[in-house]
Amino acid sequence: MREILLVRYGEVFLKGQNRPFFLRKLVDHVKAAVQEVHGHVWLSDGRIYVSDYTDQDEAIRRVSRVFGVHSVSPAIEMEKDSFEAICEQAAKMMEKKTGTFKVLAKRSDKRYPMDSPTIMREAGGYILDHVPHLTVDVNNPDHEITIEIRKLAYLSVDRTMAVSGMPMGTNGKACLLLSGGIDSPVAGFMIAKRGVELCCVHYHSFPYTSERAKEKVLELARILSEYCGRMRVYIVPFTEIQMQIHEKCPENFTTLIMRRYMMRIAEILARKDGAQALITGESIGQVASQTMEALGCTDEVVNMPVFRPCVGMDKSEIIERAEKIGTMETSSLPYEDCCTVFTPKHPATHPRKELVCRAEEKLDSQALIDAAIEGTEIVEVG
Amino acid sequence: MIYLDNSATTRPFDSVIDVMDKSMREMYFNPSAAYKPAVDVDRGMRACRKLIAAQLGAQEDEIFFTSGGTESDNLAILGYAETLHGGGENFVCSAIEHPAVSETIRRVERLGIEVRVLPIDRRGLVDLDAARDVIDENTALVSCMQVSNETGAIQPIEALSALAHGISPRVRVHVDGVQGFMRVPMRMGKMGVDMYALSGHKIHGPKGVGALAVRRGVRLAPQMTGGGQEKNLRSGTYNAPAILGLGQAVKEMAGRHEDVERMRAMKAHLWALLSAMDGVRVNGPMPGEADAAPHILSVSFDGVRGEVMRNALEGAGVLVSTGSACASHKQKVSQTLRSMGLTGEQADGTIRISLGLMNTMDEMDEAAVQTAKMAALLAKYRRR
Repeated sequence: MREILLVRYGEVFLKGQNRPFFLRKLVDHVKAAVQEVHGHVWLSDGRIYVSDYTDQDEAIRRVSRVFGVHSVSPAIEMEKDSFEAICEQAAKMMEKKTGTFKVLAKRSDKRYPMDSPTIMREAGGYILDHVPHLTVDVNNPDHEITIEIRKLAYLSVDRTMAVSGMPMGTNGKACLLLSGGIDSPVAGFMIAKRGVELCCVHYHSFPYTSERAKEKVLELARILSEYCGRMRVYIVPFTEIQMQIHEKCPENFTTLIMRRYMMRIAEILARKDGAQALITGESIGQVASQTMEALGCTDEVVNMPVFRPCVGMDKSEIIERAEKIGTMETSSLPYEDCCTVFTPKHPATHPRKELVCRAEEKLDSQALIDAAIEGTEIVEVG
Repeated sequence: MIYLDNSATTRPFDSVIDVMDKSMREMYFNPSAAYKPAVDVDRGMRACRKLIAAQLGAQEDEIFFTSGGTESDNLAILGYAETLHGGGENFVCSAIEHPAVSETIRRVERLGIEVRVLPIDRRGLVDLDAARDVIDENTALVSCMQVSNETGAIQPIEALSALAHGISPRVRVHVDGVQGFMRVPMRMGKMGVDMYALSGHKIHGPKGVGALAVRRGVRLAPQMTGGGQEKNLRSGTYNAPAILGLGQAVKEMAGRHEDVERMRAMKAHLWALLSAMDGVRVNGPMPGEADAAPHILSVSFDGVRGEVMRNALEGAGVLVSTGSACASHKQKVSQTLRSMGLTGEQADGTIRISLGLMNTMDEMDEAAVQTAKMAALLAKYRRR
């Protein structure tokens, strides 16, 4: 008899002929996740098991952050010969619980002498006899104890819901424009959750933004990397472009033109890094540069899909997500990500594309972009 | 790199590091123990007390070691408040106290003590006329910093104490001396100061150590209970390496009085260079005035944000801070500067340059050149 973790996976179940590929990826990620706590990982009977870890709580925390994992339960693995012993163990696991419970049984070993309803009834009766402060409620119990009869017997009570989604690296790679605000980490998380690998681009406007602002962005990337693994962050020097825009373009278009440059540079870096799409944290109408017209105007400069998973979310919904993911606290640090010097007083909310394009003609785009890419710093995170 | 953020912290003297190194390698004994090596450490600490006391016109047994300025302020304010019996007393502090004082003094409201604030004038000094209206016969404590961490204004402690005692004879006076200790003179008896808080790392000593000087006859309730160290006022195993390091820093500083004067000259020189620029002003007393500290210079630039100026100077190899380092992670506009009559924009356009004993005249020249260069560059990109 020993303690193990029982790891259930979600959507991978739906896969047909590709399922082994997805499962292999998932098992690899679970292995990587528990490496620090020396867990042993294997796949059997439609479950992933983890054993021999040094720290159970930490192992659960880590596994529940692996995309593709649906839930994690600490479980007891034991011989199934003695039903009496199984019941005894079940009662022991319920001892500290209060309220109502029910027993769930699953029997994949059909040669086992008792069928599932019998197991439920017998084990339930035993627990009732031995843990008198519990009562049974089969419809809406406070606790569910699961008894699974496979090659061995597995008993589990507690369940930690995990992030779900698809195993990392099963759906290509995308490049996240990471600003330091609340929205972009959430957007990155949502796309990564679909099994998409990430790289990040951050625009740094020294001296208008400080060393601390950069540190903050790297910390956000590090938090994301807890879910999606090691990734590259491109820190692009952006001051010169902002200054040129500020000097040469009409004030109401400056933010929009700046966004267009950000997209152009991100596309180049994305292609270099093998990414096939861009991700931004934009949400319709949140600020002037996120009106429908403005989004259209920024999309136009790139030739790859731009994913905006927050596009239909309210700020409060985004914040709720950020808190769940664990990026909210860092995003709320006060270091500015984009200096107010460059923010126009009256930005255009319904820009006309041809006017924006004409305004941009005054800039030596190629030289500016080349210089920015040349000066880009690459930081590996995670 | 030119380090001009000495009010945030200073680089320790080499001799301080040596003393601490030796203390940890060889003299690691608990000074409260009974055997000879421990007694030797205790003796070393006593020498430190003596050195500090001498700087304050105090006695050795009036010095209590703490973990630094913040703890000293907490011990003084909360420790004193706890000895009162809720007879309608009030505590008074200046409008520009460091959070170690202003946040702490708010906590005594829970003990039924009223908290009142002393306004300051446009030069950043406590307004003594206004103080007459704030202090009354129920004022039990007046707390005022010796030197403003934001502007370097030396506060009129002696006059304030005399005024307070004239109105409320039994009043106690607490001074946060963190920015003043050993750069601006302090005689506790003559100036009417009952409690004085100081910190090691602002005078080229170690971080994590400081002291509270408490005049005999002032009773305080301990805020840290335990083994009864420091005559029961501050329990906890002595941080002997840091205390010995603090003592060494005091010893070095005491032998370098001419360096403090050199610092004053450097500050004046730097301002002379900076004042040649357009749209620059000093906040607080002008360099050279009697109530200007020798080491802190607060400067505002028209149309350039202090935060951006600080970043730009960092890029040019000059480290300064905006406002004060302790407040700058909150990124709020400085209340000190606002209460001196600066507009939000002016306060936002402020940097604090603070000197230490290790700075040189050449560094002032270079810092001035870089500041002028950055100001010119940044002014081009003002908000339209």
